Amino acid sequence: MTAVTSRPERDTTDETRARGRRAWGWLRQQYALGILLVLLVVASLASDAFLTSRNLENLVLQMSVIGIVALAQLLVVITGGIDISVGSVLGLASVLCVGMFGGTSVVLGLLIALSVGAALGAVNGTLVAFRGLEPFIVTLGMLALARGLVYAYTEGTPVRPADPLYSLPGTLTVAGIPLLGIIWIGIALLLAFVLRNTVFGRRVFAVGSRREAAHASGVPVRSTLVSVYVIAGVLVGLGGFLLASRVGAGTPTAGTLMELDAIAAVVIGGARLAGGQGRVFGTVVGTMIFGVIANLLVLLNVSTFLQDAFRGALILIAVVLATLGTRAARR
Amino acid sequence: MEIEEPAGGIAAGTVVFSARGVGRTYPGVVALDGLDLDGHAGEVLAVCGANGAGKSTFARLLAGQEPPSSGEIRVAGFDRPVAGPAEAEQAGILLMHQEPLVIEDFPIAENVWLYRLRAGGDVRPWAGARRGADPETREVLREVGLGHLDPATPARELGPGQRQILALSRAKVTPHRVLILDETTASTSEEHFREIQAMVLREKEAGTAVVFVSHRMPEVFALSDRIAVLRNGRLVDVKRTAGTDPEEITSLMIGDAVRALERPPELPRKPGRPVLSVRDLASGSAEAVSFDVAAGEVLGLYGLVGSGRSSVARSISGQQDARAGTVLVEGEEVHLRTPAAALRRGVAYLTEDRRREGFVADFTNGENLTLATLDRRSRWGVLRRAAERTRVRELIGRFAVKGGPDVLTSTLSGGNQQKVCLAKWLEADPTVVVLDEPTKGIDVGARMNIYRIIHDLCREGRAVLVVTSEAEEALMLCHRVLVLRDGRAVDEFDTEHADTEDLIRSALGGAAA
Repeated sequence: MTAVTSRPERDTTDETRARGRRAWGWLRQQYALGILLVLLVVASLASDAFLTSRNLENLVLQMSVIGIVALAQLLVVITGGIDISVGSVLGLASVLCVGMFGGTSVVLGLLIALSVGAALGAVNGTLVAFRGLEPFIVTLGMLALARGLVYAYTEGTPVRPADPLYSLPGTLTVAGIPLLGIIWIGIALLLAFVLRNTVFGRRVFAVGSRREAAHASGVPVRSTLVSVYVIAGVLVGLGGFLLASRVGAGTPTAGTLMELDAIAAVVIGGARLAGGQGRVFGTVVGTMIFGVIANLLVLLNVSTFLQDAFRGALILIAVVLATLGTRAARR
Repeated sequence: MEIEEPAGGIAAGTVVFSARGVGRTYPGVVALDGLDLDGHAGEVLAVCGANGAGKSTFARLLAGQEPPSSGEIRVAGFDRPVAGPAEAEQAGILLMHQEPLVIEDFPIAENVWLYRLRAGGDVRPWAGARRGADPETREVLREVGLGHLDPATPARELGPGQRQILALSRAKVTPHRVLILDETTASTSEEHFREIQAMVLREKEAGTAVVFVSHRMPEVFALSDRIAVLRNGRLVDVKRTAGTDPEEITSLMIGDAVRALERPPELPRKPGRPVLSVRDLASGSAEAVSFDVAAGEVLGLYGLVGSGRSSVARSISGQQDARAGTVLVEGEEVHLRTPAAALRRGVAYLTEDRRREGFVADFTNGENLTLATLDRRSRWGVLRRAAERTRVRELIGRFAVKGGPDVLTSTLSGGNQQKVCLAKWLEADPTVVVLDEPTKGIDVGARMNIYRIIHDLCREGRAVLVVTSEAEEALMLCHRVLVLRDGRAVDEFDTEHADTEDLIRSALGGAAA
């Protein structure tokens, strides 16, 4: 081989420069973090109730389940797909985990929720990876299917579990922090590790960025895709269980329109819907932005109808801001 | 946007387009250099040349698809140099590609009227609604020789030759003065050539200046009035077709025969038993190709566009399924269906389409370099990032890749991208390395680097198969060169004794052989 040894001193300057570039690049991408900070200031000025510990605890509880679902969505979006069935699958997992076997055991309930999520995720993933179907259409079908099953199973009324322990995970606090929030952040850290430090994570990015190149380099594209949808399903199933636990029942409307919040959080967090880019940290921040907005609107007694409109407007503004950021970065 | 009917307006023989001092450079490559050429009304001008002579570049410049780097091209009746497809249309220039411009999902009839969908044209939503069995469309189809087909048939049901004819039917419905056929006949059979010939004759009578870009001597002589020969971006000569013969044109295309400047390292005295054996492989346009490559040997596959050279390479390495034939790696028959399977068996494939298949666009050099060998850089599925980084630095140093491990590969020059792709495969320690056009889009300086890396491969005892469309490259890189023509291996040369003329003549075949 032609041995070209670069001089060490040049190497270190290159290294420092690269690190500096990366830090600057990272900062420039943190539009979402900026929005969140501004929102927090506005919220604490606008309402005295915002910074109370009771409200903050409530806020964490509201965000956690959506946060977990957004992380599932992030994984799918990085592969260049989209999963709009997350809300319905969450609803189905939620009602089945309390309803099946009469809701006699929490552990059994949790297993049911995870299995439901995994199974429906596997269906989505198989159709996308092996039949080559559009993720949007596949998960659109799954959205209707799962929600229909939810209504059929509950007949429109909430299902309550027999075991009182069901409510424990959703209401427990550790050192003043809700367990739900801890689980959310724990999953975020785990997913960040997987995406950054594992072969699987590298493959997910490769498949999302340039599928042909990944395939030509020996990456098992199809099994990677199926795994992604199954993992996303499991996370959504867990979200369903935690929601049922927090509410104390499996409600037929659980998770309705949650795909909207999840996708919005992922996009505001800097992920590219075409695939190949996305960060866990950004998605967590994106979730928080929506959480704070929703919380503030409630505190300010804005009508629920207007709340939805606000949310929609915010999605549009945030996405525009986010794309401004990437365009600047490209220059 | 209507232009006057060309037929009556322009007398045969008047100059329709004139190129003066036209040059085109790409980073590191001079594709076209100071070309002066005129096109006359009612005349077919053939543009000939070997691979990379600048034929297609000239076609693109004439059609206004890209601006020349120097000089200008004027078209009669248009007051400025043509810039962009819209102006080309106003000036009456029609370019027909090698790949027919046909929308598969549209019926034949709508493909005829495709040009009406162009941007900036008629924007009424009800305009250009489905046209089918109207007499005008039928008449057009009948004239180009597709009259026996139902105009409502989807274009996808047509064969490649018929598609080409369908695309050419556009000449019937678009007013034009210049018609450029860029390798249009490369994928058509003889039967369709006759239809194209009839069409070209009609065009001539109508007073069109026809430019026929091709390297097929029989067709050039059947169609053209004058022949312009290009070589290495320069116009060598323009001959009257009546006053020359294929032998002379071929000689002009080849120029001075070139022997290899650089030679691959000597083979070991006794070449080992073959590492890669291919028997009667049929795939894509290749039919029954057989060869052996020994350890430490570089075998070249040389041929013109459509000769089947890439199909052979792609089916050996699991990128494409073969129709028939066997592949043996180290004496063992293998059926490699996917690149992953090929990699496990020690077969690596460097793609011709670097941007699509070579590297991941959003990945840094480091990430791309280890993509094929992630298993080796990890334990229990967790990457050993520190070790990965060290290894990546070593590779970047050894292959002299510009930029560090954290630079996006997509931002590098072609040569450096290719080094990253090569290094990625060599990391997998393959026994067989298949290289498809390893220096495509790479400037001259970086080429030598790539050649050196490839010669190092054979010193390390790997079997190397190089697919190339450049005769000189084949001679410099390989021990032996197999020439493919129309899907078959027609000749084999020992590069120590062969020169570019041998290869090009063999690849052109026919009259010049």
